[in-house]
Order: sequence, then C-alpha cells, then structure tokens
Amino acid sequence: MAEIASKAAFSADDADDRRRLQMVRLVLYVVSSALAFMTVAPLFYMLSMSLKQTNEVFGTNLVPHHPTLDNFVYVFTQVDFIRFLWNTFFVSAVVTVIALIFHSMAGYALARLRFPGRDAIFLAMFATFLISQPVIIVPLFILARTLHLLDSYAGLIVPSIFNAFGIFLLRQFYLGIPRELEEAALIDGAGYFRIWRSIILPLSRPILSALAILFFLANWNSFLWPLTIISNQDLWMVQVAIANFHQQYNGSWNYIMAASTVVALPTIVMFVIFQKRIVESIKTSGVK
Amino acid sequence: MRDSAAEIRKGVRAAAPSIEGGPRLSNRARERIAGYLFVAPDAIGLLIFVGGPMILSLSLGFFSVSGFGEYAFVGLDNYRRMIADPLFWRSLEVTILYVVALVPSLYVVGLGLALLVQTNSRFNTVMRSLLFMPQTVSLVVVGLVWQVLLVDKIGLFNQFGAALNLQSISWLGDPRFALFTVIGISVWFLMGFYMLIFLGGLQDIPREYYEAARIDGAGPVQSFLKITLPLLQPTSFFVLLVSTVAAVCGSQTFDLIYIMTKGGPANSTSLAIFYIYQQAFLFNEYGYAAAMASVLVVVLMAITVLLFMLTRGGRFTYG
Amino acid sequence: MVENANERRAARASRRAVLAGGVATAAITGFPYISRGFAAQTLKFWQFYGPGGGVATQDKWFVDVAKSWNDSHEVKVELVYVPNNAYMDGTKLPTAFASGSGPDLFIISPGDFLRYYNGGVLLDLTPFMEQAARDDFFPSVIANRMVDGKIYGLPYEVEPMAMYYSVDAFNEIGLTDKDVPKTWDELLSVAKKLTNAKRYGVLFETSPGYYQNFTWYPFLWEAGGDFQTKEGKSAFNSPATVQALKFWQDSINMAVAPRKPLGGGAWDSVPNIGSGYCAMQNVGIWAIAQLREGAPDFKYGVFRLPTPPGGKYLTIGGGWAFVANARGSNPKAAGEFCAWALGSPKDGSSQRIIDWCTKAKSDMPPTKSALEGGKAAFENGFLKVFTDEIYPGARAEPRMPPPVYKAISDAIQSVQLNGQSPEQAAAAASDQIDAFLSGYKGAPIL
Repeated sequence: MAEIASKAAFSADDADDRRRLQMVRLVLYVVSSALAFMTVAPLFYMLSMSLKQTNEVFGTNLVPHHPTLDNFVYVFTQVDFIRFLWNTFFVSAVVTVIALIFHSMAGYALARLRFPGRDAIFLAMFATFLISQPVIIVPLFILARTLHLLDSYAGLIVPSIFNAFGIFLLRQFYLGIPRELEEAALIDGAGYFRIWRSIILPLSRPILSALAILFFLANWNSFLWPLTIISNQDLWMVQVAIANFHQQYNGSWNYIMAASTVVALPTIVMFVIFQKRIVESIKTSGVK
Repeated sequence: MRDSAAEIRKGVRAAAPSIEGGPRLSNRARERIAGYLFVAPDAIGLLIFVGGPMILSLSLGFFSVSGFGEYAFVGLDNYRRMIADPLFWRSLEVTILYVVALVPSLYVVGLGLALLVQTNSRFNTVMRSLLFMPQTVSLVVVGLVWQVLLVDKIGLFNQFGAALNLQSISWLGDPRFALFTVIGISVWFLMGFYMLIFLGGLQDIPREYYEAARIDGAGPVQSFLKITLPLLQPTSFFVLLVSTVAAVCGSQTFDLIYIMTKGGPANSTSLAIFYIYQQAFLFNEYGYAAAMASVLVVVLMAITVLLFMLTRGGRFTYG
Repeated sequence: MVENANERRAARASRRAVLAGGVATAAITGFPYISRGFAAQTLKFWQFYGPGGGVATQDKWFVDVAKSWNDSHEVKVELVYVPNNAYMDGTKLPTAFASGSGPDLFIISPGDFLRYYNGGVLLDLTPFMEQAARDDFFPSVIANRMVDGKIYGLPYEVEPMAMYYSVDAFNEIGLTDKDVPKTWDELLSVAKKLTNAKRYGVLFETSPGYYQNFTWYPFLWEAGGDFQTKEGKSAFNSPATVQALKFWQDSINMAVAPRKPLGGGAWDSVPNIGSGYCAMQNVGIWAIAQLREGAPDFKYGVFRLPTPPGGKYLTIGGGWAFVANARGSNPKAAGEFCAWALGSPKDGSSQRIIDWCTKAKSDMPPTKSALEGGKAAFENGFLKVFTDEIYPGARAEPRMPPPVYKAISDAIQSVQLNGQSPEQAAAAASDQIDAFLSGYKGAPIL
C-alpha cells in the first residue's frame, strides 16, 4: 500500500501530492505502530511476571516493586534447562528440514504431475488434517511402542513430520506457478527430480520460509505428544519441562513465566531471520 | 528482478542432461512414476502415523471401550446416545458460534495486517515481528497473561472501565461474554499465523498489474478490489478452509479452552472438541468420544469437498 | 489404469489397517507382558513427586520409601516421575492403561476410584494387612476406598477444606479473630464489609471440574443433604441441595465473590488471598505450605467452614492413596508394597505417615497411630487449628461415576454463574442422576 501511495506522487500537483503522500504514510505508520503495540502489550506482563517475586506475581502493577532475576537463575540451575532447550531445538530443526523436503515434493507432484488417483490421494491426505491429536493419541502411542519409538528422539521426530497442512499449502502455491519454466526444462530433457530441485525449490523460497517458521514453532511449543511418549527426563522438551514447574498445589507461576520468556526467544529470532524471505519475490517480468 | 530470471534460466539449462539414444520410457510414464515417487514419503508417513490411528480411533465409535482393555461391539448405540445427548448438541451450537465469529475475523485481520506490512522496510520488519509475537509464546503464557488482564475488578480492562464509570465485567467468568472473550483472545493469538500466509500469498501477485492499474488511474481501493482480492483467491480459499478446520478441531482451539475456561462458565465455552476430550479422558468413554469425533470428521469432510468442488480442486484461473 | 492404482492403494490401506488393528489388539490384550507365569522383579511406581519433582521434601520422602523397601526386599520398586498436571488432567495415565501398559503401582484421588475399580484394575489390599492395621485407619477416611468391606487403596494424607482470612483485611474494618463468621449468613455479611474497589470479600471455586464439586460438597452435607438414598436412588433433589446451591449463588450475586479466581484456581492461595485479591478464601490445608513458601510475610488465620441455620459442622477431606494394579506385572509384590508402606505400623508405616504429613507436607494423618505419634507436630501452629477444630468432622471425598459428577457440576455452574434457580437445577440434576443410577451396576457411591 505504501508502494501504491508512493507511485501516486508522479502526478501534476507535485507539492500537494507530496504532502498527501506524507500524510498517508504517516497515518499508516501510526496505525501499524498502534496495532503492533497493542498486540505486544499483553506480553509485557509475561516479562513483568518473570521478574517479580512470588508474592507479587499476580499484583496488578506492571513494573515489579522488587525486581529480581532469581526466577531465571532458578530455571537454569534447578533444572537442566539448557539440555531441554537443546532437545527441543534438535527435534524442531530436524522435523522442519525433513518436512519441508517431503511436503515440497508431495505438493509439487499433486499440483503439477499427472498420475492416476492423484486427486483421490490428495483428498485422502487432506482428510488426515480433519482429526485432532487427542483423538488419535492412544493408537498412535501403541504404534510408537510397537515400533520401539518410545523414549527416543526418533519417536519425537518421525510422527511429527507428517502433517497435511504443509502439503496443502505448498500444493496451493505450486498451482500458481507459471508452467513455462518447467516446460522449457522438460523440452531440454530434464528429469522431474532435477526440475524440482533446481527450479521449483528456489521458486518456493518465500513459502518455504513461511513454513519453516510455522513448523519450527509448532514443534518448539509442542506438548502433548512429547509428554505421552517420553518418560526419560533427559529427553524432555521445553514445554514439558515448563509444565513440570507446576506442582500439585503450587503454581510456581513466576518460574513458569521466566522459563516461557526464555523459550519464546528462539522462535522470535527464527521469525526475524526468515520473515524477510517471505516477502522477497523472485517472480520476474516477461515470465507471466 | 532481471537477475533472478537469468538465474532461473541458468538453472534450467543446468538441469537438462544431455540425452543420447532417446528416453527409455514415454513422457507420460515418466511423469506418472515421478508423481508416485514424489508423493510416496508423505503418503506412507501419513498413512502409518495419522491415517491408521485415525481409522482405528474412529472405528472405536462402534464399540464400548472401558479404557482398560475391554472392547464390546455396540453397533450404533453410541450414535443413538449422541443424538439424545443435550450436552452434545449444545457443544455443537457453541462450536458453530465459535466458527462463525472466528473465521471471518481471522480472515479480515490476517489480510489487513498483511497488507499493512507487506513492503520490505526496516520499519515493517519490526512491525511484522511484533504482530507475530503472540504466536511465539506458549498457550500457558497466553492463558495466564490474559487472565491477569481480564480478571474481575482489578484486571487492567476492568480498571480502565472503572475509570469510565462502567461496571466491572467478568470477561471470562460470565456466560454471556466468555465465548466472545475467548474468540477475541484467539484472534490475538492466531492473527500472526494468517498474516504470514497472506504475506506469502500477496507475493504471488505481480507488481505489473498494480502498475498498469495505476496508469489507468485506479485508486488504491479499486486496485484492491479488482486486482488483489481476485488474485488472492487461492490463498483465501486456503485460509478459510484451514481456519475453519482449526476452529472446529484444532489443538490450539482445544488448548485455549482448556487453559482459560475448562468449558465453563456453565458450559458456555464447551466446544465439541472439548466435550470429546472430556468424554475420552475424564470419563473414559473412548467409544463415545470416537463416535462424536467421527461425526466431526464427516462434517468437515463434507465442507471440504464442497469447497473443493466450488473451486475446481483449489485451482483458480487468473483473469 | 485408474482403477488399478486405486485398487492397489485401497489394498495397501486395508492391509495396513488390518496389521495395525492386529498390532493394537495384541498390545491391548497383554502381548508386552510376555507370559503371566513369570512375575516381574521390578515394579514401576508412577507418581508426581519424585525423583526430580519440584518439592524437595516430598521428593525425598518417596525416594526414601522406595529405598527402604528395596534394601529389604527382592522385588524392587522403581519410581517413575510424571509432572503433576500431566498426571492429573492429562492423557498419560489413560493412554498407558488403554494400551495395556499401566503402571504396577500408582496413586489415585477419590474422584478416580470408581473408574479404576469398575475397570477391574485395583488390587484388593485387605489380605496384605493385619486387622489392627486396618482398624487403625479412621473409618470416615478409608470408607471411600473400600468396597464390601475390602480395602482397595491406602491413603497417606487427608486434606481438609477450611476458610482462610487475611488478618490485615480484618483489622482494616475493625474485626479480630474473634469475629470469624460461624454461619453462612455471617460469612456473606462479613464478606460484604470486606469487599471494596480493589478486593473481594470471599473466594469460592468457579471453574468447572472435580475440584469445584469437591469444595461444594461439604456445604451440601452441612445442610443435611446427600447424593444417594439407602435404596440407591438420587437424594439430590432436596431443600438442602437448594440451600447449598443458593449460598454460592448469593456470594456471586451480592458481588462479594469473584467469578474468576487468579492463578491456577481457587486452590491457589498465593495469587488470591496472598495478593490481596480476596480477603477470605475457601481453600484446603495445603495453603499453609503454599503461603509459607510463596508469601512468607502474609498474615492470615484459619477457621472452619461456617454452618447454615440448623445445620451441622462438616468438612470434606481429600487426599491421595497408594494403589496396586491388579493387572500389573507382579500384583502380589505390589500389594505387599502398599501394605508395607502405609498399612503396617510394625514396619514403620506410622512414622512414614507422620513424616509425610508434618515434614514433606502439612496434612492431617489418615491413621489414629500417626495422629497420636505425631502429636507434637500436629499441635503446632496452624496444624493445631486443623487438628482441634477442623479435622474432626471431616467426611471423605466422595467417589463419583463421571455422569453423576457432571450432573452435579452442571447444576453448580448454572446456579452459581448463570443465574438459574436452585430448585430447577437441583431437580434437573437429580433426574439425570436417577437416570444413570437405574442402569448402574458398579460399586456404591459414597
């Protein structure tokens, strides 16, 4: 929108339009900032609660009366939190990479390649999207146990890769890519795998970046499945560890908030790194 | 932009092997094999880890399950019980209300935010990160933070209201308001996700169209209506479908209810997915829960198929 | 061509379904246990205290108990730690049982008792205990873990509900500990005086769940009400029920109680009474430990639940119990362990219970010998108030089949928060209970 506004500058009444442009830009800045502030404001409470002492945590004051870093110290010294962070990072990263590869291949095939049963396969895949995890957890647990996946990284990683959401989104995206590039490559005799690797993958950078963020985030914050199949504390993921601060009659909300603040940081970093790639377009003129 | 085109053409040429002696298989056969091979990893994985458990779980709908290893085939009993269960129907009502309010809100907010921050600039980088931040915190944090903000009398919202001489409202404790409060919090939590999807979708629209429109004298609103919206159809379809499915049976939907209201007050936020969980894990009625879950799946499948037929398999032609 | 591909896929799918189904059935019917004739040498004990739990004293108690047993017995006990809210509300236990791999030893609350008992999972512990040991348990405490005179669970604690008040808030309006409310009306009027722009007078639980029901039952009982008649029909539709429901409704309608507590719920004292959100709180004995750790400078007092006009004082006692899995890998050893740990004074059970109730936690003991033996600690500080005034009169938490629980929960919710008339709600719930009871064939509700 800012772009359209800027293009509006090239009309007859230059001075007037420049002022109008500046007004529009100013309004947009103000609106964006206000929305962003209102969005983030509740999270100030998260930070605030993590810096408060136990008796103050639920006080309505935003600024702690006796700020303390004790909660953070506790989180890192009383529990092996670094290890849990590492476990979670490892699992999330591996799942994200493998999922992106598999889903991109599947999405491309479902969007572009013609083979019998394609649409039926797609609908069947999509059907798996319609069920929520708590419903299938018991058979899934039995399956994991039968495959000896309990209490292992593999058990955390393998079932989490397969989710129809990514396939669906990538297929949508690939439906919209112009065919000329692939057709040129096919005429030159390229195999489908090479086409996928050298043409489709680079073209899908924006959408893959978006999915990288979302997959990483989903796995980073996952709770139910890790809780179900892991009993060995060495393999805990962060959300299970955070839930552990909550004892039978003791909320320990200050520790939970401190730990959650720490846990939120990596995904924020992931987002900042990847979000620019999403809005880079490598669509070029002359191709459409 | 020019360079990327050259890059792609280079990539194409690199991808093309030199062929002597002609291909062994016909092009159609090659395409078919490639199709199956590409789909194979995900298809097999989904079948084993989701499809199988899903079929097993849903087939439990015809059994009465004790939760300790006893399975008794009861045919349609669970379904008959469902029809006579007022709590089930109430949970469907609440779910429909939830979906009807949430899905359009997420669409509008997600798209609006994406439009606002779509151009690359340092300012927008910061804005995008801030707008996405609710997604990066876990739902436990979301629950706790909003609890403090919304609590009766002393929560920030009520203090603000008191300053305006308004009576304190129990946003989460009053059956009249609780569901809408949860919807509001859901929008706050989920909008970054859909903003991201729309950002990706907006990139699909070539800049030239906007240039051409500007040259023709179109204003921003007209550009939006005549270019952006139509070309966003694939993304819109995707967002509507995904948000509907997520609203009905998504994990995040369930988690929010579980953390903030546990289905209360007075069953006003007892969504179908929450009622199913209660039956399965608190009441140990796995068979009954499975029957209800099957109904949900069938309904969602119907909506999906309908939407797919309306949009010819999710393909849209550009005008 | 299309048909072939689809056929192949369908065949693949159906083969997988059969395979998966077969695997599941095999697993569920006990395949992992290899053979029953070979009893296991290690018992897995699932609980939410340790090792690696959050409360050091409780962690230590469990570790010590396991070690003490392991030092003197061949079959070993292995503690498996499950985080608390995962254990209680989560899917971990149900999933384990549903997939045939339930633990050999675990702990349950009274609310869960019927589910496990009716599922045939609880081992009868009576044969492992001497008569004297069985009589040592207070009858009202052990009643909800007995069926037909047999004991199926051994409690290690009793957690009575009481009322707490903030000394500073009382002093503000000129009240002292002599002015603690003794009747329901007094409670409401004192609460009204304590309510101001920043605070509520009293706090009751408002979130639906087993806990809310648990905290409401004593008020029903005080008014003379109950769930079941001797003939097994619902006794819920009674003036007592109406009175008890109305009491909670009044607290909300008079705006002296909030609709939403802070923190984890009304069981969480530090965020509520400890932060000044409310001046009185209906919470259990565990708040002593909570406030000691989380708000050490907070001055408070404890008093027993007020009574309605013409009513008798009663409170409710919760508390968890050791149970043995009758379908576990070595039920005999598991039963022996439970009896040895808690039901055998000659093996040190009394001291163990005393240690738990006074050092690891602050709770009331379930046995007479422990109450006697730990007199020194139980006559100290706030525990003294509980020992002298609150605990006598405690009735055990009832064990409810889920449909009965839900009927009552819905009644409480709709009256307390949705303005429904108590008479209507009581009648509706009672009808549902009757409908359920007519087809119910399990152990009696207590």
